[in-house]
Amino acid sequence: MIFNASKISKSYGTLAALSEVDLICQQGEICGLIGANGAGKSTLFRIILGLIKQDSGSVEIQSSSPKPIGGIIEKPALYEYLNARENIKVFSEIQGIKVSAKTFNELMQEVGLSPDRKDAVKNYSLGMKQRLGLAVALLNNPDCLVLDEPFSGLDPMGIYSFHNLIKKLSRENKITVLISSHIVGELADLCDTLYVLSKGRIIKSGFSGEIYNSSVSSYKLVGENFPDMRELAAMHPIKIQGGYLVQISRKEITGLLETLINRGTRITACVPQSDLKVLFEDKT
Amino acid sequence: MMKGVIRVELFKILRQSKTLYALVAIFIIEGFVLVSAYYQGTEIIDLLLANLKDTFEFKGDLLNGNLIIYMILNSLWFHIPLILMIIVSGFLTSEYKDRTIEAVLLQPVSKTKFIGSKYLVSSLFTLLVVFLLAISTFGISYLVFGKGDLVVYLNGLNFYPTEEAFWRLASAFAVGTLSMLFFSLVSLTFAVLFKDATKTWIVSAIFLVCTNLLLKIDFDNSILNRFFYSKLIDSWQYYFYYEIPYEKIYINMSVLFLYCVFVSIAGIIVFKKRDLLP
Amino acid sequence: MKYSFLIISWFTFFNSYGQQIDQDLANVRGRLDSIESFTADIVMDVDISFINMPTKHGKVSYQRGKGSKISSKDFIMLPKRGLDLTMEDIFKYPFITVQRGLENTEGVLCKVLNIIPTSEKADFSIATIHLDQNTSRIIKLQVSTKKEGVYTSLLSYSNAKTILPSLIEVLFEVSNIKIPLQFLGKETEVDKEAMKEDGAKTGRILLRLEQMVIVP
Repeated sequence: MIFNASKISKSYGTLAALSEVDLICQQGEICGLIGANGAGKSTLFRIILGLIKQDSGSVEIQSSSPKPIGGIIEKPALYEYLNARENIKVFSEIQGIKVSAKTFNELMQEVGLSPDRKDAVKNYSLGMKQRLGLAVALLNNPDCLVLDEPFSGLDPMGIYSFHNLIKKLSRENKITVLISSHIVGELADLCDTLYVLSKGRIIKSGFSGEIYNSSVSSYKLVGENFPDMRELAAMHPIKIQGGYLVQISRKEITGLLETLINRGTRITACVPQSDLKVLFEDKT
Repeated sequence: MMKGVIRVELFKILRQSKTLYALVAIFIIEGFVLVSAYYQGTEIIDLLLANLKDTFEFKGDLLNGNLIIYMILNSLWFHIPLILMIIVSGFLTSEYKDRTIEAVLLQPVSKTKFIGSKYLVSSLFTLLVVFLLAISTFGISYLVFGKGDLVVYLNGLNFYPTEEAFWRLASAFAVGTLSMLFFSLVSLTFAVLFKDATKTWIVSAIFLVCTNLLLKIDFDNSILNRFFYSKLIDSWQYYFYYEIPYEKIYINMSVLFLYCVFVSIAGIIVFKKRDLLP
Repeated sequence: MKYSFLIISWFTFFNSYGQQIDQDLANVRGRLDSIESFTADIVMDVDISFINMPTKHGKVSYQRGKGSKISSKDFIMLPKRGLDLTMEDIFKYPFITVQRGLENTEGVLCKVLNIIPTSEKADFSIATIHLDQNTSRIIKLQVSTKKEGVYTSLLSYSNAKTILPSLIEVLFEVSNIKIPLQFLGKETEVDKEAMKEDGAKTGRILLRLEQMVIVP
């Protein structure tokens, strides 16, 4: 265990923002926190990062690093009138570390930024700012990284490359990553474990595959030569571009695919669709 | 590590263009005050010496650099604190607005060190501004208007020879610096309390106006009249009494310094205790 | 007829009496008139209740016919009257003298004379002189000027012989300054009682003459 948030509660007046939240991450693990807007994700992350104090509960980080945990809350906060090197200089000097030119270059390369760029950060795209924010979070080699909605505002290519970057950091540098989003698809194949937060409470937790699969209630089938789908009325098929959306469970999809293939249908894609109602259904 | 935090704060101040704008604004105001002091100066001297013209003949020019500096000194103590309060509070409110305060506190640096360095650097900045103001005021005034006796009206006409006028004016600037420091630190504490730049500016301006009004009010309480902060702000004027009340000045400065310390500590405590909410 | 004789005699008597300047005054005048020029260092102190001014230093130079000139690198306030050490302004135009008797002035028994100019060009209406008959010098002079008010000069001498004083004390009336309180000053500690005092005050200027060089 490297990170353990235990029974965290926080209220603002009569509003219970968090209620007895438990969250554990292992070393090198990528943990995802899914929740709708206003579920309490940012509040929990702020508590974990020490920006606000919880009303009760504890946060324990097992680390001997001078900076056990680094993070980005929502959009990265940088000094826009400074350039990348100056931002790194500012954030490193305040924590008493000196970043040499060599270290700076390596850090920039690690997050996929050019070390030669001299202009102010205000000229950077959002994706580049995210990367620079990540570089700042990685200063002083934290054992744990907390990223709150890091994909927010990024285009698909940006999301894809940021995904890969996080995976690389986790696998190669053995950094524990705690990442939040309100979009299931962003976290499903990135995270090892998932926590579902609804109205300040953890309602589901477990391996991301299991959590994601448990909420799948339909599939998008793409292909050619589909038969008359009226025969499958019970699955409520909906015609979509290039195929159908069918409501069917994980257990039954294999059987359906076999049937369609036997009837001469050429299936080119079968994409599970998570049902957010099911995902956020509180069975506790 | 405190040195590093302070160095970084100084670096940020010097790299921001608004610092330059603010300094330019201060010197532009000084220029306007200097020009108006020159045109007002003749009128003032005529008014002061009106009753004496029947009996006396005057030799020498009272409209000289020393009088200009004195008039600038009198006018500076509203404009300059206002600008200082805007700039200094901006050192913190801009960090709230840009959320860089979160990014900083996500690093292993204590809240106390962070906000403490803000107070320290704001103090250094204030000292630097007043020092530059003094140098330019003395330099330009002496260069353009030359030296000479200084006439001051304080319970009568006081005439000071040029050398004496210089050190009285310089001492007044030095003592006035502590008043400016007080305003700067108050504005930073307001920034801690209000976080938002506009709110902080409004409150700071109101504070400055009220201070100037309270300066003129006679309280019923002798302790308040003696030690309330607004009564200490213009202690620099004592340097233009014919017999300088040194003890009073030292006591006033000590008490004002205590006010500065109190305001700073209050700001640090509030900042430390408060959650950093979005 | 007899009345016109009396009237003519009356006028003649007074006319002949007025044309005669007092002999002691004539002696003093003669000594003063013998000075062609002089220079001296001047040290000036102002003693007026509402003015604080340090001791000022300057130089005075006098040339007969051209008057006195005072120079200083500092700002100085000079009394408009009272610096006429050779009494040129007093003796410039015709005058009559009237004896007022003897008076002890500054510890010296002095002859007191009124000087009344007979010319309208004179810039004073009457002057009172206290003369030390023994040393033929003026000890005190009080002048009522037409435009510059009344002033009094007290003269002290460094030795028994010199005709020019080494210390002059000029006394005059001056009104207090009345300007708005917010004008160039600390507002809260103004002595309001002193400010309320109205009317003229007596001011005093002390002039010490040193290193005097007289050219007869």
